[in-house]
Amino acid sequence: MQKLYDVVVIGAGVVGSAVARELSRYKLDIAVLEKNLDVCFETSSRNTGVCHGGFAYDPGSLKARLCVEGNKMMGQLSEELGFAFKRCGKVLVGNTDVEYNQLLRVMEQGKANGATGLRMIDEDELHRLVPAVVGKFALFSENSGILDPSMFTIALAENAAHNGAEYFFDNEVTDIRREADGIWIITTLQGQFGTRWVINAAGLGCGKISDMLGLTGYRIIGSKDDYIILDRRLGHLVPMPIYTVPSNTYMGIHVTITTDGNVLLGPTAEDTDDLSYYGVEQRNLDYLYEEAVKIWPHVSRGDYIRTYSGILPKWIDENGKIQDFKIEIIDDVAPCAVNLVGIESPGLTASVAIARYAISMMLEREEFTPNPSFDPIRKPIPRFEQLSPEEQAQLIRKDPNYGELICRCEKVTRAEILQAIRNPLGCATMASIKYRTRSMMGRCQGGYCQMRISRMLEEENGIPETELVYMRKGGHPFFGKVREANKCDLEVAK
Amino acid sequence: MTREYTCIMCPNGCLIETEYDPAPASEGAPVIRSVSGNLCPRGAEYVLQELTDPRRTIATSIPVTGGELPLASVRLTAPIPKDRIMDAMAEIRRYKVTAPVQAGTVVIHDIFGLGSDVIVTKTVEAIEPSGKTE
Amino acid sequence: MIERRSVDALIVGGGPAGLAAAVGLWNNGIHDILIVEREKHLGGILRQCIHDGFGLTQFGMTLSGPEYARKYIDDVVRMGIPFITNTTVLSVSPSRIVTVASPDGMIRYEAKAVILTMGCRERTRGALAIPGERPTGVFTAGVAQAYINLYNRMPAREVIILGSGDIGMIMARRLTLEGAHVQAVFEVMPYPAGLPRNVEQCLNDYNIPLYLSHTATKIHGSDRLTGVTISEVDADMKPIPGTEKDYSCDTLILSVGLIPENELSLEAGVKLDPHTRGAYVDEHYMTNIDGIFAAGNVLHVHDLVDYVSLEAERLAAYAASYIKNGSLPPCPLPVECGEHVGHVLPQRISGTSDIQVSLRVREPLQNCRIVVMQDGLEVFSRRMRKAIPAEMIQLNIPASKLSSQGGLTVMAVCENE
Repeated sequence: MQKLYDVVVIGAGVVGSAVARELSRYKLDIAVLEKNLDVCFETSSRNTGVCHGGFAYDPGSLKARLCVEGNKMMGQLSEELGFAFKRCGKVLVGNTDVEYNQLLRVMEQGKANGATGLRMIDEDELHRLVPAVVGKFALFSENSGILDPSMFTIALAENAAHNGAEYFFDNEVTDIRREADGIWIITTLQGQFGTRWVINAAGLGCGKISDMLGLTGYRIIGSKDDYIILDRRLGHLVPMPIYTVPSNTYMGIHVTITTDGNVLLGPTAEDTDDLSYYGVEQRNLDYLYEEAVKIWPHVSRGDYIRTYSGILPKWIDENGKIQDFKIEIIDDVAPCAVNLVGIESPGLTASVAIARYAISMMLEREEFTPNPSFDPIRKPIPRFEQLSPEEQAQLIRKDPNYGELICRCEKVTRAEILQAIRNPLGCATMASIKYRTRSMMGRCQGGYCQMRISRMLEEENGIPETELVYMRKGGHPFFGKVREANKCDLEVAK
Repeated sequence: MTREYTCIMCPNGCLIETEYDPAPASEGAPVIRSVSGNLCPRGAEYVLQELTDPRRTIATSIPVTGGELPLASVRLTAPIPKDRIMDAMAEIRRYKVTAPVQAGTVVIHDIFGLGSDVIVTKTVEAIEPSGKTE
Repeated sequence: MIERRSVDALIVGGGPAGLAAAVGLWNNGIHDILIVEREKHLGGILRQCIHDGFGLTQFGMTLSGPEYARKYIDDVVRMGIPFITNTTVLSVSPSRIVTVASPDGMIRYEAKAVILTMGCRERTRGALAIPGERPTGVFTAGVAQAYINLYNRMPAREVIILGSGDIGMIMARRLTLEGAHVQAVFEVMPYPAGLPRNVEQCLNDYNIPLYLSHTATKIHGSDRLTGVTISEVDADMKPIPGTEKDYSCDTLILSVGLIPENELSLEAGVKLDPHTRGAYVDEHYMTNIDGIFAAGNVLHVHDLVDYVSLEAERLAAYAASYIKNGSLPPCPLPVECGEHVGHVLPQRISGTSDIQVSLRVREPLQNCRIVVMQDGLEVFSRRMRKAIPAEMIQLNIPASKLSSQGGLTVMAVCENE
C-alpha cells in the first residue's frame, strides 16, 4: 500500500463514475476500484438508455427527486461530456378507460414530483408524434429522452480520470476494515488501498460491500431484464420511446430507440438471486415479441441484431416490497463511508444528482477544497459517420486514419478505433472499443471488423494473441497462432 | 455388394449406387458390376477410385517471415491416399517461407513419393522495412 | 471541397463478381472503368477460401480461392483496368454519384454505370436470437475462416458447428486439420444446407457426425464458451421439449446463412426482393435505378464462384451496351416464383431476348420438372432427377420460346403431384 487516498469509490458504473467525476471538482486523491476490466460492464450499459421524466416514482422519494434533478441536468452534461442525449419525449400509450385513469394518476404523481412537460394527448396527436404506434391516447412526457448509457458512463469516467481520479480495473473488493486511526483498508484481488473516505457505488454488489462496511441487513435482489435489439433500418418508426401503461410494480414492455437509431424491445423484469447471470431466455424473447407487436406492429424477427440482458439491484424489505434509493452515512457504525444501496432505475438518469447528493452529505462532515484546474469538458471521439462529406474529407486530410474504414456497418474508421484504444482509462478489452466507437455493434456484429480490431488491440497493447480479452476476464478469443515460423525446421527453397 | 457414394468430383454431388464384388483377401481390385446415378463418366471413375484407393487433397497454410501477410496458403496438386492426409499435414507444418513468395512456388516436391506437390497458392509480398510484422 | 471525377463504369467491390464484371466490360470495349475495393488486395472473400474446388466450370481445373481470384486479377493487371484498394464506398446516389474514402482523401465519382458487387455477409447469432449467455467463442464460420487462414489466429479447440452451410462444413474440415476437435454439426432443417460433396469430403471423411433437425437452444459460459444445449426440432422447426442435450465445447461455429450486403444499394434507392434479399433486376441485371446494375452474391447467394463470375460477365455485356447507348430495351414482363421455388431472377424480362433464369427450390425434390409458364402456357421445362435448395438452378431460355406479352412463372412440378 503506497498511497493514502482521500476517497476510494467502489464500482465504476454510472453512479461510481459520476461520484468520481463530481468529486474531482475538489482537491482530493480519488481512486475508483472496479472488478471488471472497464467501466459500465454491468447494469450501467445493460438497460434501455431512457432519460426518465420522474413521474413514475412515489412523491417524496429520492428516486422521484433525484430523477427530476438528473433529468434537468442531462442537456448540460451531454454538452460538457460529449455523449449522445436527445430530449425526444416519450409516450405512455393506452386504450381503455381504466388505463386512461391510471395515466391521469401517473401524470398527477409526476406533477407532484416536480416533473414538467406532462400532458394527455389524443389519438390524433399521438399518431402525429409517433405514427407507427397502436393506441387511443397517451401520456406525453416532453422532457423524457434517450441517452447512450455506456458513453455517458465512459464520459464521466474519462472526465474523472482527466481531472485526476485513478481507475483500477480487475480489482474486486474482498475485504474492508477500518483501522484505529480511522483509515479504511480496502483489500482487492490485486492489492490493498488505504483511504479516508469510502463510497459504496457497487451497483449489484452494493449489498456485499455494505456488509463489509458493517452496514448489514440490506436485502438485495436482482430484477433481470432481457432485451432484443433491432436493426437501425426501423429507427425512423420510433421517434421516441413507447411505453405501455405502468402497473404498480412493472413498467411494462417498451419499444424504445437508442441514440444510434436501433429499436429496443424490452425489458422483461424477472426477480433473480443470481446477480451475475446474463443469459437470455427463449420464453422471454417470445414474450417480448408478442407484447411489443401489440403496440408497435413493425417488429419482425428478420430485423433482430442481438439480444442482451441486464440486472437491476433492488433493495427490498422483508415483505419483498421494493424500497427507495438508500444514500446514507451512518457515523456511529461506518464513519466516512457513503453507502449507496438499491440504485436501480432511474439511477442512470439520476446518477449525477445522486453523486451530488452523496457529496453534499460528505460536505456536511468535512470541508473539501475546490480543485481550481477542474475541467468539466470531455471531448468525444469525432464520429466519422455522423459528419457531412465535407467534414469527413477535412478529417481525412488532418488524419489519414479517418480514411480507412474498419467497421462497415457503423462506418467506424481506424482513427476512431485508435482513439478508443488510447483513451485515458486504458483499453483492456475488445468490448471497450465497441462501447466507445460502436464498431462490432451493427448488423454484421463484427463479422467484418473484429479481425482488424483484435489485431489493432494486440499491437497497441503489445500483448500476445493469447492474452487478448473480448470482455470478461478469461474471455480469450484465441488459443494461439495457427503457425509459428520458429517452430518450423524447414525453409521453402526458392 | 452394393454401396452408395456421393461423388465429390464436381459440385453436382451425384448420389451413385454401385454393385461390386469385393477384392479377394490377398490382393487385386474389386470388380464393379454396375454404377448408376452418376451424371457423367467421372462418377464411375470416382467410385472405382473410392473402392480401390480413396484419395483426397488438402489445403492449409505455412508461416511467412517478413511478409505483408502472416500466412501463405498452400495445397496439394493431386490427391493423395486418404490415410496419408494427417501425415501430409504434419510434414507441411515443418515448413516456413521468407517473403516474398509467389503463388505456384513448390513447398514440397512429390510429397512422400505420392506424386503430389505442395504448392503455394497465394503470393505474399515482403513488407516495407518500416511496416508492422506479425 | 471534395474532388469530383467521372468514369464510365464504377464497380463497387473487387471480389469475384467485380473482377469478372471489369474484365467483361473491358472485353466489350469499355475501358474507362474503376474497381473500388476496401481491402488492401483485390479478390474479396476468395482470399480466405484456401480450400480447392473452384474453377471447374470456368477453367476446367480445380483451384484454391486465391488462385481463382489470381486468374482474374492477372487479367485486370494485364489489361490495365484501373482499380483502387483500401478505399471504401461511402454512398451511391440514385443519380450514380459514388462517394469513396481512403487514407488519401475523398473523391466523388459521377459514373455512367454503377456495378454493385459487394458480396454477402453471414447471419449471426444475434439474428437467430439463440438464447443463453454471451461468452467469447461464438464465431460465424467466415470469421473463424478469416482468423485461421488470414490472421494466423486459432480461435477454437473443442468445437460444435451449428448449421450445415458450405462454409461451416469446410471449416469443420479445416479446424480438424489444424488440430481442433469438431464434435458434430447440427442442422435445423431436415436436409443439409450445403452441397452433398461437402457433407462427404468435409464431414464424412473426418468422421464428423451431421445431425439434421437439431438446433442450439442455449449457450453457456460467462467469459469463454463452456457448452451449448442442442435440441431436436419438430416439423415446424420448433425445439421439442425434453430433447435437450448439453455439449461441452469452447467454440460454437455458426454457418446459418448468408445475406446479400445491400446497405449501399438501399441508400441508392434500389428495391430489394424479399426472397433473394438482393436487388430486383431485369434480364440485363439492371436494378430499378437506371444505370445501377448488380451481380454475384450481392444479388443472390450463389453456390459456386464460377457462376458468380459468369453472371458478372453477362452483366458486363449489358452494362457495356448501356454505357454506349444510354439505355437498354425495356423489360416490362414480371417473373415470379411458383410452386416449390424459393426465389427466381431476373424478376423482369423483355420477352424478346434470350434470358438466363436462376432459381432455387424451396425443399429437396426428386424426379421433378422445372417449368416456366408464360400467360398460363408452358414455354420451357427441364427434367431433374433431383433438385436441392443448396444448388442454384440455371435455365437458358431462348427468345424464340418467349412472347413479348405476359409474365413468367417459374415452378417445380413433381411427378407424383
